[in-house]
Amino acid sequence: MSVIEVSNLTKYYGKSRGIVDVSFDVKEGEIFGFIGPNGAGKSTTIRLLLSLIHPTSGSAKVFGKDVVTHGTEIRRDIGYLPSEVFYYEGMKVIDLLKYSASFFPADSTQRMRELSDLMELEMNRRISDLSYGNKKKVGIVQGLLHSPKLLFLDEPTSGLDPLMQRKFFDLIRKENARGVTVFFSSHILGEVQRLCNRVGIIREGKIVEISDIRSLQQNNYKKLRVTGEGLKAADFKLAGVTNVQSDNGTTSFFFKGDINAVLKKLSGMKLDDVSIEEPSLEEIFMHYYE
Amino acid sequence: MNIFFRELRANFKSLVIWSVITALLVVVGVAKFSAYYGNPESLKILDSFPPAVLDAMNLRAFNLTTVIGFFGIMFVYFGLLGAIAAAMWGSDIISKEERDRTVEFSLVLPVSRNRVVTAKALAALVNCAVFVLVTWGFSLLMVRSYKPEPGFYSFLALEMEGMFVIELIFLGLGLLLGCAMKQYKLSGSTAVGIIMVTYILSVMSGLQKNLDFLKYFTPFKYFDAGEMLRSGALGGGYLLLSAAIVVVCVAAAYWTYNRRDLYI
Repeated sequence: MSVIEVSNLTKYYGKSRGIVDVSFDVKEGEIFGFIGPNGAGKSTTIRLLLSLIHPTSGSAKVFGKDVVTHGTEIRRDIGYLPSEVFYYEGMKVIDLLKYSASFFPADSTQRMRELSDLMELEMNRRISDLSYGNKKKVGIVQGLLHSPKLLFLDEPTSGLDPLMQRKFFDLIRKENARGVTVFFSSHILGEVQRLCNRVGIIREGKIVEISDIRSLQQNNYKKLRVTGEGLKAADFKLAGVTNVQSDNGTTSFFFKGDINAVLKKLSGMKLDDVSIEEPSLEEIFMHYYE
Repeated sequence: MNIFFRELRANFKSLVIWSVITALLVVVGVAKFSAYYGNPESLKILDSFPPAVLDAMNLRAFNLTTVIGFFGIMFVYFGLLGAIAAAMWGSDIISKEERDRTVEFSLVLPVSRNRVVTAKALAALVNCAVFVLVTWGFSLLMVRSYKPEPGFYSFLALEMEGMFVIELIFLGLGLLLGCAMKQYKLSGSTAVGIIMVTYILSVMSGLQKNLDFLKYFTPFKYFDAGEMLRSGALGGGYLLLSAAIVVVCVAAAYWTYNRRDLYI
């Protein structure tokens, strides 16, 4: 079952582009990575799904309900951690969390204690006195407090120290194991690679690729590095070869296509060394952006 | 209810500040009044003023040496103060969520925008009511040392009703500006600008006969203290007009807030 269904979603802010003709599905129980550089439209997409802003055209459904007409119902089962957290400055952390909890039917006192212990949150401090990272921790507790079925994380790790990041990822994995679907937006590919099953890559408001991480790495591209005397970049002119870089007798390139074709080519050369690797997500990502 | 109570708490400081302002207005006003009280000689100064100025300040309709007369003149200031406070509360209570960037929290909670506007409007309404009561209470407190003429207390009550209706009009306007304007920085200053323009209109409409039609465009002319004293009631036609303005503003506020993109 699809928890999120986005079809041809388009958003313009006046004349400036938000996202254009974006379509994708997120299945129940998966961790979907949404990657792209700053300004690509990641936050716009999330805000549309939360009905903070309204689409110019196209539609989106969450839990099978239209986000424009059923936003209130949908938000009952959603947790959201924005990239920058802002809360009522004058309130204490504990009051803010209780206030947030008061909008949901279930009693979450127990869970509030567990989560804040885990994130080492000081409950009696004022929001205005908190550092950026501590505000983020409040955001994590607040977003998870009501045991949502769907989590939107928008660049969630910024401001968290590495130890907290690890705790946070463990927490997200645990939630996911309980059946929570996660929509994870980020430009840090390492964390997406660690956590997600599938990724969508967005660039300048348009989806350029949707694929599961494994097949993105395995089937799409190979990273080849070849060392041999007198090898030139021009020797590797072949369909499917990209990103050719030559340096001091070592040539590296990406290859997509029938691996036999490139092996045949290599067999005719005199080589000192060859390696064939799966590229990191980072390299694939950079490839999409060039 | 949780939004309503949170807003009451968040706005408490502002309510206290405005209450101090209105209390000061009454205290300082009455202190000045003590110079005129029962002293007809003092009125001679006013004879040197041009009639237009006297009209603009409503000084001809009332006898400044009586408590009723004095509060008749004070009504303009009560109205202005109430209008400014109500408009600020109305616009700020909506737009501050965007200014402080808390919308990404408060409107991701499972609440409809209608419910948010309703709860906030009610909280601002409570503020407006308390503001009138504080003004009323301080007025009663300060006139104790004088001997108000018969009819003063019912006249003061009528003035406070008038002040409340003016507050309602500007509360509605403030809410509409807060809901409709994406440029949240502008909503408060636009509200004050509208108050200034309507106040100037109310002064102008009294200056010349052919500008008389302007009185329909300025809530400050809907309830004239002199007229209230004569008739002992608020004008029914103007009450209806006020109600219509409030209903239109509030309906438009809900309508626009539901449709527009939140500014993040």
